Amino acid sequence: MIIISPYSKALLSGKQNPKNYPYWKELIEMIDEPIIQVGIEGEQQLVPDFRKNLPITELRKLIQECRTWISCDSFFQHLGWDEGKKGIVLWGVSDPLIYGHPENNNLLADRKHLAENQFLWWEFVDHRNERFVKPKIVLEHLKE
Amino acid sequence: MSKVLCSVATRGRYFTTLPLVLNAIINQTKPVDKLVIFDDNDEPQDMRSQMIYQYFFQMLDIKGIAWEWLYADKKGQHHIHQRANSMGYEWVWRVDDDAIPEPNVLEELYSHVDEFVGAVGGSVLTPPYTPDTSTVTGLIDNIDNEPNIQWGVIKEEKQVEHLHCTFLYRAGVVDYNLGLSRVAHREETIFSYRLHQKDYKILVVPNAVTWHMKNPEGGIRSETKQELYEHDEQIFRNILRYRDKTIVVLNCGLGDHLVFSHVLPSIPNAEVFTCYPEVVPGKSIAEAIHLFGDIDPWNVYKKMDEWKWKDSLENAYRKLYA
Repeated sequence: MIIISPYSKALLSGKQNPKNYPYWKELIEMIDEPIIQVGIEGEQQLVPDFRKNLPITELRKLIQECRTWISCDSFFQHLGWDEGKKGIVLWGVSDPLIYGHPENNNLLADRKHLAENQFLWWEFVDHRNERFVKPKIVLEHLKE
Repeated sequence: MSKVLCSVATRGRYFTTLPLVLNAIINQTKPVDKLVIFDDNDEPQDMRSQMIYQYFFQMLDIKGIAWEWLYADKKGQHHIHQRANSMGYEWVWRVDDDAIPEPNVLEELYSHVDEFVGAVGGSVLTPPYTPDTSTVTGLIDNIDNEPNIQWGVIKEEKQVEHLHCTFLYRAGVVDYNLGLSRVAHREETIFSYRLHQKDYKILVVPNAVTWHMKNPEGGIRSETKQELYEHDEQIFRNILRYRDKTIVVLNCGLGDHLVFSHVLPSIPNAEVFTCYPEVVPGKSIAEAIHLFGDIDPWNVYKKMDEWKWKDSLENAYRKLYA
């Protein structure tokens, strides 16, 4: 079983968070093992087993039970690291050298896509699909 | 040699003590690298139309001293000092608009600077009051029991824990407390004590006399509301109450708390204020704001931006709470 945590925190403006991975549906179709989605109420459901609003203790238990996990740059990648379970982090505009952990598998298409200022609101950064690695690459790392 | 910015905050003293202050700054034996006048007047004027100021500006130009006249935002002098503190200079010499330094003051203060020094002040004499401060300790614990050491003639270098009024300080190390009211009561005490808490030496030195011509008219603190002073005094007392603790304020996201939880064991005697007590136990953020007025100095994102940070978030936390 793998866990996916697809979405970063919603922006106040209603714009899509530029850290959100754009190819989840394609990626999920390519994965041949049970998937549990974690997130909060209001987020789009991508797989049949969507567990919403779990307390952090439940999330920790789930992480211990999974083979691995995949997340965008959200609190979940820190939680997986905190639990000592290696996972895949899908980066786009935030810098894995600052916000990531070398213990994880950090996938970034190109550093040229990183936001110029890493410390301001993400509201000011546009979401663009080309900033992220393609599902095929994620799958290769998932099989490792 | 490090660059020195001279910062003067002024209000209501265009034609009384401010010209004396500017003249004294222009005529320092060690020239400042830049002079910035922060004009906090309710009805600011363009002083380029005033003859005496025209002369000052020409003298500055002839001496090659950069200068700037900035209009402040009327929030109090602590906001002004914070602007100066973050202008990119290694040292800031803060001078009040009724404090007239003798010509050697900056040279003397600067001569005591080394890598361990955070701030240096001299005597700030207010005629006719010149108490004997030779036995004054300058320790924060004694602040209620002794006059300020700078009020008297300083006869020898002494290490203290806080300074008053005007001094030279290492910029960009600690922040001014922007949670204080417009009167900014105790702002310089809190600021210089923060430098002390960062393990920098705070010195008072002889032969650096500034004449404090206290003027009942005008002034950056020209507010009389007692509740503003009481508000600021309460913040000051809370800072003293927690002085033996390392204050940690985590006004940030869940992921940040998870990262910080790996840093916490290395922080001695931490007193934590937190958004996610289930991850990092502690008191509420509202309580931190109530106690300390301003929690921006603990904003790790603001700090990373200031530091042009390239390293990990975890190491940013280590630097912030070092």
